[in-house]
Parts: sequence; C-alpha cells; structure tokens
Amino acid sequence: MPFPVPAAASLFKVGQTGTIERFTNEYLAGKLLDIGVRPGSRLRVVRKSPFGGSWYVKIDRQCLALRKKELACIMVK
Amino acid sequence: MHNGEIKVTPVVGLVGNPNSGKSSLFNILTGLRQRIGNFPGVTVEKKAGMLTLPGLPVVELIDFPGAYSCYPTSLDERLVVQELTNPEGDLFPDAILYVADITKLDKHLLLFTQLRDLDLPMVLVLNMADLMDKDGLTVDIPRLSKALDVPVVPVSSRDHRGIGELKEAIAGLLLDPEQYRPRQAFYEPGAGARDVLGELRQELPARNDYHALLLTHHAPWLKHVPETTRHRVQQARVKHGFHSLRAQVEETMDRYNTFEPIVRTTVRHAGDTSSRSDRIDGVVTHPVFGPILFIALMILLFQALFAWASVPMDLIELIFGSLGEGIRATLSEGWFTDMLVDGIIAGLGGVLVFVPQIAILFFFIAILEEVGYLARAAYLFDSLMQRFGMNGRSVVALISGHACAIPAIMSTRTISNWKERLLTILVTPLTSCSARIPVYVILISFAVPQAIYFNGLLSLQGLAFAGLYFLGILSAMLSALVFKVVLKSPDRSFLMLELPEYRVPVWRNVGTTVWQKSKTFVVEAGKIIMIISVILWAASTYGPPADMAAAETAALARAEAQDLSGEETADLLASQRLEASYAGHLGKAIEPAIRPLGYDWKIGIALLTSFAAREVFVGTMATIYSVGSTDDEFRIRERLAEERNPDTGEPVYNQATAWSLLIFYVFAMMCMSTLAVTKRETNGWKWPIVQFVFMTVLAYGGAMIAYQLLS
Repeated sequence: MPFPVPAAASLFKVGQTGTIERFTNEYLAGKLLDIGVRPGSRLRVVRKSPFGGSWYVKIDRQCLALRKKELACIMVK
Repeated sequence: MHNGEIKVTPVVGLVGNPNSGKSSLFNILTGLRQRIGNFPGVTVEKKAGMLTLPGLPVVELIDFPGAYSCYPTSLDERLVVQELTNPEGDLFPDAILYVADITKLDKHLLLFTQLRDLDLPMVLVLNMADLMDKDGLTVDIPRLSKALDVPVVPVSSRDHRGIGELKEAIAGLLLDPEQYRPRQAFYEPGAGARDVLGELRQELPARNDYHALLLTHHAPWLKHVPETTRHRVQQARVKHGFHSLRAQVEETMDRYNTFEPIVRTTVRHAGDTSSRSDRIDGVVTHPVFGPILFIALMILLFQALFAWASVPMDLIELIFGSLGEGIRATLSEGWFTDMLVDGIIAGLGGVLVFVPQIAILFFFIAILEEVGYLARAAYLFDSLMQRFGMNGRSVVALISGHACAIPAIMSTRTISNWKERLLTILVTPLTSCSARIPVYVILISFAVPQAIYFNGLLSLQGLAFAGLYFLGILSAMLSALVFKVVLKSPDRSFLMLELPEYRVPVWRNVGTTVWQKSKTFVVEAGKIIMIISVILWAASTYGPPADMAAAETAALARAEAQDLSGEETADLLASQRLEASYAGHLGKAIEPAIRPLGYDWKIGIALLTSFAAREVFVGTMATIYSVGSTDDEFRIRERLAEERNPDTGEPVYNQATAWSLLIFYVFAMMCMSTLAVTKRETNGWKWPIVQFVFMTVLAYGGAMIAYQLLS
C-alpha cells in the first residue's frame, strides 16, 4: 500500500491502484455514486490527458474520464 | 390512474442510463415513425413514436433522456424526474420499459429500483444480450426476475433477439397493470428523512412514501408542485433539519447494498471482456498519439465534406437551375412566375444544397459516436476547452462548424452543462464555414498580390486563405473567453464522462441519425430560408414605380446610345432596376454607415442580401455589376477590377476595401438558417439576437480597423 492513510486520488501517479474509502464533497459524492463510483470500488489511474486536467481512470471494470478536481474529493487507501 | 381501463392512447416510457442502448431499442420498436421535438418548456429533445401491438390501441412510446438516478444534475435528468413524479402530467407513462446494459447491471439497477419504488408497472429489458454466448457471460433470467419481482426480457439491438417477447411483455403490462405492481419496496426512507416525511406525507399529493420523499427533495424546482406546497415543504425541511444531499447519499448506498447481492448471484462474467478496449485506448487516448489521430480523423472528415459532397451539391444546383428555367419556359411571364422561380425555387435550392454536407457530417459523427470515439475526444481536449469556458464535448461542434454551423450547433446537445453548451452554440458560427469559400476566392486576389515563393510551394494568397480560417478559430476561442467571464451559470460543470467499450456501429442507428438530422434541417431551417428568399426577391425586383420607370428609360436610352447587344442591354437593365428597387434604396440609405469601412451602396446591397445567407454575395455581385446571370467567379473578379469610384476615378476594390470586406465576412453572422437553429436550440429569441449583435459588432469593428489602417 503506497498510502497507509487515506489520501485524495488526485495525488495518485499513473498506474497506482487503491480502494475508495469515502468522499469529501457531498455534492460530487451524489453524482459519483450515481455513475457507480462508491466506497469499496477499486480505483486505478490509467493515464493523464495531454493537457493534464482530465484523467483516465478505471473503477472496478468501468472506464471513466474524471477531472483532477473531481478526483480530489475521492479518498483512497 | 390504473383502474383497469386502458386509455385511448396508452403511454409507454423508455427509461435507462445513458449508454444503455435505449435509443437503438427505440429505433427498432418504432422504425422511422418518430416525432422529434422539445419537451414542453425546456430544451430537451423529446422523441416519441407509435407502436402497434395486437389486441391493444396504438401505444405511444416516449424515449426519455438517459438518466443515472432520481437525483438529477443535468437538464435531461431533471426532465425525467419531473415527468415521472407527476402522475397528472400528459407524459406520465402507464408502463415503463427499463433498459439496462447486461454487462453493467451492477450500476444500471440504481435508477431501476428508484422507479420501481414509485409504483410503476415495469419490464426490465436487458440490452446487449448478444454478448451472452460470445463472451461467456451468463445471466440467470428466472432468478433475476423473481428477485426483482418484474418480467425480465433479454434483447439485442444487433441481432434483434427478444423483440417479439418484449412486445408481448408490453402488452401484458398494459392489459393487467395491477399484476405488475411491486409487492415490496426496495428502500424504506432512513432516519434522516423519517421526521420530515411524517409531517408532510399526508399533505403532499404523493402515491406512496418514496414519491413523497422525492417531492420533498425536489419541491424547490419541480414545475408541477404548487407554490404553497413548495413553501410548506421548505418549512418542514428547515424544521426537521432535513439535509437533502446527505439523505441522497444514504439512500443510494442503501440501494446498492440491496441489489448488489442479487446481481452477484445471477450474473457471471467469464473472461475480461474489456482488454480489447484497453488496448485500443492505449493508442487512441495516448497523450501524444491521441491528438495526432484526432487531427488525422478531422482531415479525413474535411476531405469527405469538400470532395464527396461537391458532386451531389452540383447536382442539386443543376436540378433546381433547370427546374427554374423549365418553369420559366412553360408558364407565362409575370410576377407569379418570377416569384416562383427567383423566390421559392431559388430558396428551396438554397436549402437543399446543404443537405449532402449535413448528411455526410452526421454520418461521420454518428459512426464516431456509435464506436465510442467521441467520448475519447472529449476526454483528450477537456482541459484545453475548459480554459475557454467550454467542455471537451465542444471540440466536435467547433470542428463541424468548418463545414456548416447548422449541424455543428445541433451536435452540442451532448453537452449537459447549459453554460458550456450555450458558449459553444454562440461561437461556433465564427469558424469559417463552406459558404464563405466563394467570397474568399473572389476578394483575396484584391487583398493580396499574386506572389509565389519556394518554387510554388508557398503562395501568398494561399497563406492569406489559411490565415482567414485561423482568424475564425482564434476569434471563436477568444469570444468564448469573453462570454465565460460575462455569463453567470447556476449549474456546476462536470466532466465525469463514461468511456464506453468500443463496439462495431449499429448501422441502423447511423442511418436513422442521418435521416432525422437532415429532415429536421430541411423542415425547420427551410421554412425561414424560404420566407427570407421571397422577401429578398420582392425587395430587389420592386421599387417605387416612378423610380423604376425612370431607371428603365435611362437604361434603354444608354443601351441605344452605346449600341449594346441584346444580352448586354438586358444586363444593364437588370443593374439599373436593382439600383432603383427597394433594396437599392436601402443600399443608398445605409451608405453613410458603411462608408468608414470603405464600401459604396452596391457593396451595401450585397452585404444586406448576404445577411440571409453569405453565399448570396456572389449572385448579388453578378446582378449589381451586370455580369449576367452566370455565377462565374473569374468574370466577376475581372469586372470588379474595372470598377472605379465615380468621384475620384480610383479603383473601388483596392487592398484596403478588399481586406475590410474579407474581415467582415469572417466575423459577420450572415446566415438566417444558423440563427433559426440557435433559436430552436436555445428556445427563444434572446440568444440568436445576442449572437447576431456580437458578431455584427465584431465584423463592423474589425472591418473598420482593417480599412482605416490600410487606406
């Protein structure tokens, strides 16, 4: 485990994997839960976009594009 | 509501998550018998179609927009919640077909359980059932059906399996809705909501507890909730400390915990089916190769638009040209024939000539969408576009705008954030569309000398041509930046974009998209173009009778004095009549306003007529300078070079005037069809007027600066 204590997913490097523990922003949490991102899901940062703002992540078996600020509210360990 | 009687036209709603294949299923069930319009009062596309089932009246099938849950974040989702929580509304369905992707059942059941708790008769439709045998995916249908307490029908939009069973299931729901009502709720409102519900339950017009809970959550914006009730809900929410977001998260987690075990015991994935998609994405979304591939695809698209569309476009022009001549030859001369040929047929031709480009553009975009590429392009460019107040999804519109702004504006519907979508609609017409090409071709020779460098590799005029395109893109991005600062947005901006697995396109969907978009364009934009064409024709044909008569006498006298041939006389007559017509008077009237840009009244008329559609410029120039009825660009160019200012004797088309005109055409909003589409997409006259004004101001200012600097 690279981060023994929960850390924001936006601090992750490409290729790093973790388990979602909780969300720190309720509004984004509601939206993330709706699309199937929830505590207990496995999150992996696959790659970053050419301009850096949006990240390609894999959550369980689903591929998603999330902005860095959206990832910042996902706590992962 | 469900009292055992079947309504005259029962309404069946097609509901599901985005990317669940809902639209494919809708296309199969209704064919091309679809009506596309907006839901009342909002800019959300409403698709409805008729479905005939044995032993039942004709059923109206409504394709609701894709939604993730009953807690909406976009306009599309809000509409779903609004209609499904309003049993008195016209669109409230008698039964629901809930479409879920068979491979994503663990996520797509969230909205299913919510709607089920609203006490609606439902069928669960498992789409993409063709993957069941191929990829080793197995689903225990009877067990799933028993656990969820609804009929479950696996179907496939690809090989059409299960469609017959689905129709039978729909008939069953409508004939005996009581039998399909839920026996037990998936979710009971939790501690955070119990108090507020206890107080409001009796007062709210709710069918059950969950309906009451949703009304409590959404009363502030639901249109069908009366003001007094809204106020009452607000009071109760404050009194009991009801926290909407917290209650939503609590409910969502609870629901996942309820249906996840059901999915786990009934669905089995054998292999990892996504590895092929992952490999493709390794290249397509690569930080370096991704953008390169994108540019290559766009070059291919341009090639298709300019090279392939030219043949059908020429054909359409030829057909309408000969149709007009044919009518002129058959009917007797008179104002009616003139109006028919120069007004209506010319106008109709002007509409239909864009259809090939629109069809090709939508063919490409529909394929890219079906395959799953558009989501990747949006991912690649999102952060760049965000700096300009737009969304990654705006890239598609800005590229398409180089062919024609109309389909480009229609393609912005995929942008869920209203401000980002509006910005994209507003600035897209600044990209140089294909109608500007003939104008550029004529004027650039006056603006830039014919000079070639590096053995013909680089021509100064070619460089100027590319420069005009670049100016268009640059001004679009910068205008977006200005609007970004000026406009306020109540919505939050999201990317949160699903990147669906790559799939071979369903050709039926591609065909339906091309057909629907072309049809919409012809009908909607066509109406306005026709009206404008007829008005233009009348304004340039008629004038104050005294002036017209004087102009004719003068022209005939001059023709006799100069001994002109029959054709030359006709050309001279046409040009003199135009000067005396209402359009001519208007041109003279605006001359003082366009003098600072370096234009005379003749250019003024061309400008005015161009406001209907820029491509009218060439035809108007031909009439004004009495070149004749041909649209030969090179003849017009020769004639323009000879044009002198009657006072000074200097050429009218000097470098300064030519640049000023070019700049004007890059920026000006000269296309009635685009304004009509903007009005339709934004549901009102406000934004097309804003668009028209800002682009015209930009054009006027830009042209004036160019003229004053160069002259």
